[in-house]
Amino acid sequence: MRLALAIASFVVLIVHGVVFYDQFFHRWERHQEAYFDQARALSKNQQERAELEARAPRIEQVIVTSFGDTRVDRCGTCHIAADDPRFQGHAQPLRTHSYSAALGDTLRNGRWERRHKFSDFGCTVCHDGQGRGLENYYSHGEDPYWPEPLLGFVTQANWRAEFKPHLRGPEYLEANCAQCHTEENFAGTPHVSRGRKLFFSMNCYGCHRIEGMSEGTLGPDLTEVGKKWRVDYLWESIVDPRANLATSFMPKFQLSDADVESLVIFLKSRRGMNFAETSLARYRATHAAEIKPAAQPAGVRGEDLVREHACTACHKLGAEDGGIAPDLTFEGLLKDEDWIFEHFRNPRSRIPDSIMPAFRFPEEEFHAMAGYLAGRKSPPAPASPAETYQGLCARCHGEKGNGQGKVAYYLDPAPRDLTKAGFMNSKPRERLLHSIETGVPGTSMPAWGKILPPERAEAMLGYVLTTFTREPRREQAAHRVPEANPVASSAGSIAHGEQIFVQRCSGCHGRKADGKGPNSLDIVPRPRNLRNSFFVAALSDRRLFDSILYGVQGTAMPAWIDYGLSQQDVGDIVNFIRSLNQKPTGSQYARR
Amino acid sequence: MPVAQRPRMTAAPSEQEDMPRRRLLSWFTSVGLFGSAVLSAFSNFVFIKPRATYGQPARFAIGKPEEFPPGTRISLDARRVCIVREGGKMAAISTTCTHLGCIVGVSDTGFACPCHGSRFDQDGNITGGPAPKPLPWYKVSLKPNGDLEVDKGVEVMPGTYYNV
Repeated sequence: MRLALAIASFVVLIVHGVVFYDQFFHRWERHQEAYFDQARALSKNQQERAELEARAPRIEQVIVTSFGDTRVDRCGTCHIAADDPRFQGHAQPLRTHSYSAALGDTLRNGRWERRHKFSDFGCTVCHDGQGRGLENYYSHGEDPYWPEPLLGFVTQANWRAEFKPHLRGPEYLEANCAQCHTEENFAGTPHVSRGRKLFFSMNCYGCHRIEGMSEGTLGPDLTEVGKKWRVDYLWESIVDPRANLATSFMPKFQLSDADVESLVIFLKSRRGMNFAETSLARYRATHAAEIKPAAQPAGVRGEDLVREHACTACHKLGAEDGGIAPDLTFEGLLKDEDWIFEHFRNPRSRIPDSIMPAFRFPEEEFHAMAGYLAGRKSPPAPASPAETYQGLCARCHGEKGNGQGKVAYYLDPAPRDLTKAGFMNSKPRERLLHSIETGVPGTSMPAWGKILPPERAEAMLGYVLTTFTREPRREQAAHRVPEANPVASSAGSIAHGEQIFVQRCSGCHGRKADGKGPNSLDIVPRPRNLRNSFFVAALSDRRLFDSILYGVQGTAMPAWIDYGLSQQDVGDIVNFIRSLNQKPTGSQYARR
Repeated sequence: MPVAQRPRMTAAPSEQEDMPRRRLLSWFTSVGLFGSAVLSAFSNFVFIKPRATYGQPARFAIGKPEEFPPGTRISLDARRVCIVREGGKMAAISTTCTHLGCIVGVSDTGFACPCHGSRFDQDGNITGGPAPKPLPWYKVSLKPNGDLEVDKGVEVMPGTYYNV
């Protein structure tokens, strides 16, 4: 008992001692003492030495109120020599903060004068970090819960290892320079300027909104993105958009590391209200902000506009290729001018699941660009089916015909997997040929009929079937399917169809019939969007009946005839699906 | 046999050794408890005065001595002190009126408060008005990097100059 008490009281003493040591003996005290010693050695007269003798280590802090929230910067407690010009070249933390003409420092009579005095600006205004911290782990922002580690100097332990080397370097500080120096093309912030240019030249502005700069609505608003996220998240979101959101359809753009860095620095500088503006000025600016595209001189040509608006950041046009969206080289043969114009104004009015943003250019520009694209009517030189396939089809359907072309991820519905014999062989040859020649309405499959005359289309289909599908076609048992829907459309029929649809179909096709049911993400190819009016309008009743009753081979669509759906039920479902889609206006393809 | 032997073998030596052992244990216990009591008491007294506070810092750098040529009387309104240099002697005099806390202005004859007409001479002594006390002087010192530093936390006797 006494032994236990003795041990316990000793443990208490030791714990107390450790806490005491931790609270009264600091690293920063040792740094300051080292500084005093070195300064004493450098001092020139007795008075300076006496001053130093009288000094004891203490917390040095600067309170900065001019830049946003009040900051308490205690960096000078360790970096006590930051403003002492005699310590240039010493090891950190006792090193003079560099002087640089680029920062506005001036050399007068052999003595540097700082433009940004630490007593006015503090440290964290430029460097970030946790100003109140007195230990490296906290003050430098190595703590993963601190949102602002020292910009360009500290990478937190949980950041992805392959990004860390990219996220170091003094250029990241430009993001903070730009909080006050907001002028475009400010000489001190070349990376911010470059990132801003890339934001427009890579068409980021089409999807993303930045207040006073762009009006995109497809992607997240980036007005305050630099305040919300650390540089590693910004880098990751650009080079690997699906890392954080599996359903993101943001394309992977073709960017060099230097481009990504500039974009990250530019985005890091977007922090909502910057230091240069007052809240009143900001209020006025947000209400007055109407983003007007630069006025175009009259008679500007569509070709210049297409280049200027950087369509090739995504699309292929001639030799330039963004690798994200379809080829526009033969656009004039595939679509007509009205279609292109309407598609410019709202891409989803023509291809309902397109990810192309609706750009807010003036109508004259759309007309000029549509005119230019509609004028691209020179067909490719005739070639063998294999070459034609690689030239026209492989971009979407993939070089191996597996539906994994380089733009396939960004297309909805996805390009057909031509190696799936189950599907290819279950469809009559005429239907496959029809898809090649007249395209698939409401999707990105164009009508190749104008480029491929019937005999070449036939040869192409033969090439696809022998090269990719390979399995020989077999005779299909005849399906008992009506030519036209025998059930007349009525309110009762549609209601019954909806009831069956919700029970049987909504798991995959979704309650809204938009193909986004709860199971849809696990299914390849994805369930059909049945609200795609162009697609549904082009379907005959016969095909709808066939797909529902006998299923679609090579996909997850089962044969519902096996699950007890009668012709009457299917007729009701077809009436329901038709009732969802109004008759679309406007043609899908170029007039032949 | 071993059962019978055990009490005799253990009891006899333990009677004698138990006392020093017991004393040693209580000594250890008291050192432990007393030691931690001293440490906590010491820490408590030290922490009565915070090492750093928020709000405008009491201690601040005002620049190099060369920036204040002899004869200067500059009022730093943001810091509420007046920097005085006479020859090689420097001082910092508060510009907060001791009456109701207005900022006093620097005049030819000394300081004048705009609120209630208190007047002070060049050294901050009262020459008129409702002010109850003279303006305090603050400590001026030199930082190791050559900057002058005023510490508003430390008042000095009026007439105490810092020699540059």
